[in-house]
Formats: sequence, structure tokens, C-alpha cells
Amino acid sequence: MQTDPLSATFAALADPTRRAILARLATGEATVTELAAPFSMSLPGVSKHLKVLEVAGLVSKDRDAQWRRCRLEPAPLRDLATWLEFYRRFLDESFDRLDDYLNALQQPKEPTDDRSR
Amino acid sequence: MTAAASANKTVFTTDATTNELIAERWFDAPRDLVWAAMTDPERIPHWWGRHGDVTTVVEHDPRVGGTWRYVSRGPDGIEHPFKGEFLEIDPPRRAVQTFCYDVDGFRDFVSVTTLELTEEGGRTRLLDRNRFATAEQLAGAVASGMEKGQAETYERLEAELATMR
Repeated sequence: MQTDPLSATFAALADPTRRAILARLATGEATVTELAAPFSMSLPGVSKHLKVLEVAGLVSKDRDAQWRRCRLEPAPLRDLATWLEFYRRFLDESFDRLDDYLNALQQPKEPTDDRSR
Repeated sequence: MTAAASANKTVFTTDATTNELIAERWFDAPRDLVWAAMTDPERIPHWWGRHGDVTTVVEHDPRVGGTWRYVSRGPDGIEHPFKGEFLEIDPPRRAVQTFCYDVDGFRDFVSVTTLELTEEGGRTRLLDRNRFATAEQLAGAVASGMEKGQAETYERLEAELATMR
């Protein structure tokens, strides 16, 4: 089931509740109770979503058992941004080259015989 | 070609409702020529890939259900394989195909590329819509965290999305 880290990131982001949790954590650390507050959802329900985010490496929890504060881990999202940037750059540079190539194709042909000298 | 030969530039936008990264570009060439350059396996190596890449067309079967595979070798000697399948072909107007960067960590992300060419006054407008099953998720995550995002990630993603707008 588990494939590569990027797939895990995408799968974890596929759920609106989990995206909302990440958005909340982007503003700072929070406890599970605080995270659950905006949702009409039980604590175990939120914990389940947090587990998915934890497995994907997007969220980490404090060691401190009393507080268990959750925080956003940016590394997996950085991989995502890297991939998108790669793709965008690939298109951009390919189209630059296509532009040059089309211009070259439309240039009048250079005379190639001896008389051109 | 001189650098000043063309003022054309690719404009990137994102469409959150369709999960698409959209690239739009004008070319100073008639549509038939643009179509030929983009679909003829003999011509594809002339432009496919990033600056400095040398591309080999390994496979190119432009029929519905046919597949393609190109390998771009970068200046560093590293080979970047790409592959996909042709879903629709309507020369010289429209082509739909899948796109996959065929290396570990990326090959699960198959986007669907819809290419549309329209001609106006001898120039051609290319509209290249790349639909990611997963880009919506990224956009959603970024949009929802953007207002107050403190994490370095969100700043980077925001900057990235800004360049696409």
C-alpha cells in the first residue's frame, strides 16, 4: 500500500479536514483538543486524521505526554514544491526552445552553393 | 537566433476548480508549423526538454491508445525519462495525452495534458493545460494556510504559486 514519500504526502493532503488541520498548524503549535475545536468531530476522529498526517511526516507530536502539542513539519511539502517547480520549469524552457526552433525553421534558407561566397 | 528574436513568454496560471496548471504562449508561426514541430518525432528533439538537454524519442505512436517515451539527457549526463499515452488527437487543433516523469518518487504522478492550438493573424496561441489529480490537494493546503502561515514551507509554496499566476 505504502509507496514513496511523495505519494504519502499527496494522499494525506487529499482530505479537507486534514488540510484544515495543517492550515491551523501553520499558524503555530496546537494540542489535539485545540485542533478538534473547529470540527464537529470526536477527539478520536481528529486523532485518526492526525495519525495519517504523522505517518506522512507532515505533523509531529511532542514527546511530553501531558501536552502532546502537534506541529507542522515542512519537509514533505517542500518535496511537493520541488516537483511542481521542476514541472513548471520543464514546460517553460521547452517552450522557449520551441520558440527558437520555430523561428529558425522560418528563416530564409542560407544559400549553400559556392556562389554564395 | 539572437536573444532579441522573440518577446514571447510563457504565462502560467492555476485553476483551482479544475486542478490545472495552465501554460499559455504565443508563437510567431502558423499553426500547422507549430503542430508539426510539437508532434513530429523528427522535430521533437529540437525543443523538448530544458535548456541544454538532449532528447531522444524512444517511442512515439500518436494514435489514441498509443504511447510515447522520450529520454532527455542533461548537461550533467543524467538521463530523465518521460512517458505517456495519447488519449485524443485532432490535428492541428488539439491533443490530449498523459505525462509522467518516469523516475522513482515521481512516476506515480501522471498528469493529463490538453494541448490546444489556435491561429490568429499568422501567429499561434498554445494553451497547455496540465491536470494533476493531486495539484488540487496542494493548492488547497496552500490556500488554507496562506493567511497566517509561518512555516518556511508555506512561504516557499506561496512564492511558487505566485510565479504561476
